[in-house]
Amino acid sequence: MKEYTVIGQRVPRIDGKAKVMGQAKYAADYSLPGMLFSKVARLPVAHAKILNVDTSKAERLPGVKAVVTAKDFNGWTWGFMANTRDEPPLAMDKVRYYMEAVAGVAAIDEDIAEEACDLIKVDYEELPSVFDPEEAIQEGAPVIHNYRPNNVSVEYHWNFGDVEKAFAESHLVREDRFRTSRATKGYLEPPASLAWYDPAGYITVWAAKQSPYFHYRHLAACFNLPLSKIRVIQPYIGGGFGGTKNDSVAGDFCAVMLSKMTGKPVKFVYTQEEELTVSKRRHSMIVYNKMGMSKDGLITAIQSRVIADGGGYTAVSPLTMYLTGCCTPLPYKLPNYKYDCYRAFTNNPICAAMRGHGVTHTRFACEIQMEMMAEELGIDPVEIRMRNAIDNPKPGEIYRTINDMTLKTCGIKEAIQTLVKDPLWAEKGKGPKQDGSVSYGVGMAATSYLGGARQLGHQSCAATVRICEDGTVNLITGATDCGQGSDTVLAMIAAEELGVRYQDIDFKMVDSAYTPVDAGSYGSRVTVLAGQAVQIAAADAKKQLLAILGSEWKVNPEELEIKNAEVYNKSNPTRRIPFERLAKIACYSGSGAVIIGKGYSGYGIEPLDFENGRGNSGTSFSFTAQTTRAGVDLETGHVTVSDFVIAHDCGRPLNPIGAESQNEGGAVQGMGQAIYEDFIMDSGRTLNSTFLDYKMPRSTDVPDIKVIDIITDDPSGPFGAKEASEGSHVSAPPSVVAAIHDATGIWFKEQPVTPEKIVKGLKEKGKWPGK
Amino acid sequence: MAQFYKRLPRFQYLLPKTLEEALSFLKEHKEAARLFAGGTDLIPQLKKREVDIPRYLVDLKGIPGLDSIAFDEKAGLKIGPLATINAIKDSPYVRDHYPSLFQAASSMASPQVRNRGTFAGNICSAVPSADSAPALLALEASVRLLGQKGEREVPMDKFFIGPRKTVLEAGEMLLEIKVSRPKPGSRNVYLKLSPRHSMDLAIVGVAVAATCDGGVCKDIKIALGAVAPTPIRVPAAEKILEGNRITPEIIEEASQNAAAQCSPIDDHRASLEYRRDMVYILARRALNNVLTK
Amino acid sequence: MEQIKLTVNGKEYELQVRPWATLLEVIRDDLGLTGAKEGCGEGECGACTVIMDGKAVNSCIVLAVEANGRQITTIEGLAEGDRLHPVQEAFLEMGGMQCGFCTPGMILSTKVLLDGNKNPTDEEIRKGLEGNFCRCTGYTKIFESVKAAAQKIRR
Repeated sequence: MKEYTVIGQRVPRIDGKAKVMGQAKYAADYSLPGMLFSKVARLPVAHAKILNVDTSKAERLPGVKAVVTAKDFNGWTWGFMANTRDEPPLAMDKVRYYMEAVAGVAAIDEDIAEEACDLIKVDYEELPSVFDPEEAIQEGAPVIHNYRPNNVSVEYHWNFGDVEKAFAESHLVREDRFRTSRATKGYLEPPASLAWYDPAGYITVWAAKQSPYFHYRHLAACFNLPLSKIRVIQPYIGGGFGGTKNDSVAGDFCAVMLSKMTGKPVKFVYTQEEELTVSKRRHSMIVYNKMGMSKDGLITAIQSRVIADGGGYTAVSPLTMYLTGCCTPLPYKLPNYKYDCYRAFTNNPICAAMRGHGVTHTRFACEIQMEMMAEELGIDPVEIRMRNAIDNPKPGEIYRTINDMTLKTCGIKEAIQTLVKDPLWAEKGKGPKQDGSVSYGVGMAATSYLGGARQLGHQSCAATVRICEDGTVNLITGATDCGQGSDTVLAMIAAEELGVRYQDIDFKMVDSAYTPVDAGSYGSRVTVLAGQAVQIAAADAKKQLLAILGSEWKVNPEELEIKNAEVYNKSNPTRRIPFERLAKIACYSGSGAVIIGKGYSGYGIEPLDFENGRGNSGTSFSFTAQTTRAGVDLETGHVTVSDFVIAHDCGRPLNPIGAESQNEGGAVQGMGQAIYEDFIMDSGRTLNSTFLDYKMPRSTDVPDIKVIDIITDDPSGPFGAKEASEGSHVSAPPSVVAAIHDATGIWFKEQPVTPEKIVKGLKEKGKWPGK
Repeated sequence: MAQFYKRLPRFQYLLPKTLEEALSFLKEHKEAARLFAGGTDLIPQLKKREVDIPRYLVDLKGIPGLDSIAFDEKAGLKIGPLATINAIKDSPYVRDHYPSLFQAASSMASPQVRNRGTFAGNICSAVPSADSAPALLALEASVRLLGQKGEREVPMDKFFIGPRKTVLEAGEMLLEIKVSRPKPGSRNVYLKLSPRHSMDLAIVGVAVAATCDGGVCKDIKIALGAVAPTPIRVPAAEKILEGNRITPEIIEEASQNAAAQCSPIDDHRASLEYRRDMVYILARRALNNVLTK
Repeated sequence: MEQIKLTVNGKEYELQVRPWATLLEVIRDDLGLTGAKEGCGEGECGACTVIMDGKAVNSCIVLAVEANGRQITTIEGLAEGDRLHPVQEAFLEMGGMQCGFCTPGMILSTKVLLDGNKNPTDEEIRKGLEGNFCRCTGYTKIFESVKAAAQKIRR
């Protein structure tokens, strides 16, 4: 049983006081004297050739200070990989999705900026468009990007073992088509930034970015400035969830360019409708899944063919499609696996990353299909999982998947067993199955999720721990807390390692002028990677301090320990001084030392192998099992999800309140996709881009949630930690759909499972009590 | 070119102190003036440029005495145009005598919106899914309108003409919603169906008000929301029940008839078929609720 | 321009505002009180919630001119110097927030809920907060914060 002083304590968030007082400042809360307001003008057409953009009237409107169009960016484009730099700040020759940005205006106030946008005229020629991803990759479909004449934006073909042979030898084989919903992040804070282009050749932005350093690189490239002169200051972020806030948007580039043109600071703030209509959303995918099983329900092979709707540009999708396939050999043993994916360009809004990135689509398909097959074989949902689940490797051993991913810990069996004993599952037979028209069901699902992801070549993660002379500590990293609580957990790690108290640490938010480069908040990497960097930096500072004291006290520094902000001699513990005193001694000794501990995450996992799918996608993997109880009104199809129990193996939850809250939030967000959330499209137009009609869970929709920690103490992570809560986000949709199956007897394969789909399904089976 | 507006469009603000002043503004500025009370419908519409931009917004909240909710045993309930949805929901008169109005009010939006929005605004906006409308229709409410030519009273079932269209003439405003006192032994209910548990527009709304005596339906009114160009009564379904002994079969027949009477649309919120099916289900539930319990 | 008088967090202000300016815009831009946020701009999310004459309202759909003569409380008006309001304390202790964007509105709605009902049931808490959207927390720790706040207030 590990005993920690700070780790594992239920501490208030390090930024909690600022947030409850309303003092936390987000991008839109910043102002500078002389600031201008910018606005992005857009073309309400899904696919069109731009013939002419006439900004003359807008430029002449009193109060307008500058107007920017594509020509001002000189053909610069950006993208995730060197050969997918297909996205321009403003549309150049074509618009490829509805309301793509074409121009930007800066004016002395927002009213005038909006008026100016109304005055911009665009001559365009509408082009034939395509919205269905399967249609888009057929011969003869309108070409969206010339460099991909078949509209296949990303394509991978992986093959492990021999699926054909395995299927031939299987007792049971199923093929099914699944569809995941058109969902989006749904954060409350729309994208915003305050930009200042100093004529001396510096850019400073206060930008709502969960990965500020991506934006930092984009700005350097776009404006041809060295990185040393790009300053991205991270305000508090109002939610990230992947996709947009670890990328740049049209408003960002326009604001900086307009600042350059006017010599004034320029602010932009998107509206929520703008965010929901044009921001990068999650891919919606069609998964053709084939699974084989032996008579005992052991999985023999999986073959997944995935068609993803990518929208108008590539964005981060080479990573998306890799993640969609790489984790299929988890959390169950898989001896044969084939993965073919096609990500299609369409004239829909751009699809990119979102929590549970990639994995969520295929895990949904595999969990549901596995249960369908178990049902056919007469094996129950727990048994089918326990027979196939990967065992927790013994200390020192690793488990290797067929695609060469390696695990040091795997708590999935313990998680499932924990759920089995929990009353939600254990007592699901008791009590009435039906109450009036409402039928109750309980469902289970399990998943894994990677942590410590890396992108190609961009894994950097460092920290400095600066000891102030009064014994308080500044913690400086390049890591961004977009709400998930990473600042808190990093402070806890620093405090634990250094031996001081949590409240002695002050965390400094990202400012690229002063903080070390970091890839930011994505792929569940902050706790595991930045955490490791922080641990090393704290240990370094501690070493320097103890070396100085050792020389003062004339003892070997190895004899000294720091705990709870007290320093003592291990072999003579009555000799102790407060940490504050140690700091003074160290800082004023000799000519005065400056104690700065530095560390960087040495994790050198091999670059991701997109082409073959082989190798680790992260430094470690979380495991989550979840049960759901739901009531389905069989007459109306209305679903009420009443309970979640989530058993999650994140190695060790370092910040228990944070890990619980993340699991709760992740599962609710997953529930949204399972039953409520879907963008309804009409020829590239999003019909429901408001909070009224893009229906996310409200306080009256959420179940009672219980989170249970499964401790496996993974050696890869600081203090045993792995990622937390992308797992519960992925386990929620199949768990909810399994509960709906238990209540209705119907397996639904298309998200979201709306009341209307349920009634339709019941009618088709002759089970609708309506008539 | 297009954009997403963050700011409201430009308009002038007028705050009349009396009804006469309000009416004179309407007379003077005609279509260039829009009345508003809570603004919870109008302000978002203006922000999205979904309606013609008025040159003048005329705020009724400067006129005293328009927010009252009064009840007496003879005249029944009188709701002023500025009575907020929350005030209506919290009124003991409403809770005691008109549960369907309480249910409608409780189902609308959020506490914040209910603190500003009004039933008057809800029915004047005349969206087919307006939650207050079916309940008021089933209770045979009427509205007092005040215009350039003076006052007139219009029964609820004559008030709506089409989606977002009422009989309100130019220069006319809603002065009062009147609901006659409930008949002895009568019951009323409003049921709303939507995907989530809050913050949704109704996919289907059904209100029933009825009186039973010794197992016989003496009096019945059924109203539907969100399934026709306006909120509607369904007299053919009412006739099936009126004067007859209540049985499961007759409730079934009336419910099916109600479903056949409506003319829902297919839109991104729900399909025609689902709405029609749900009218049947909700009508059956509402009728059982009011006639058999 | 219209001339209005507002009392915000106990302090009186005389302001010149455009008739089409919302209360949210004036609070944030003219008074510099940026605690109230614009989440959706159309009264659906509650991030802009302020208390006006004792009632919670969505300030993004209230015109500034409509607030003339009214008493407004924003999140900045809850704490007394460094002393947090019991609702703020409860949210801090129970971890009722993640990104914090919904938090000012959520805390003010909680305050109004508890002002009217010192011992709300689970159902009453959920319904009382239905106008405040949160994407991060799944609401669980928000409910726990409300209950903890109620306990503090009852003491």
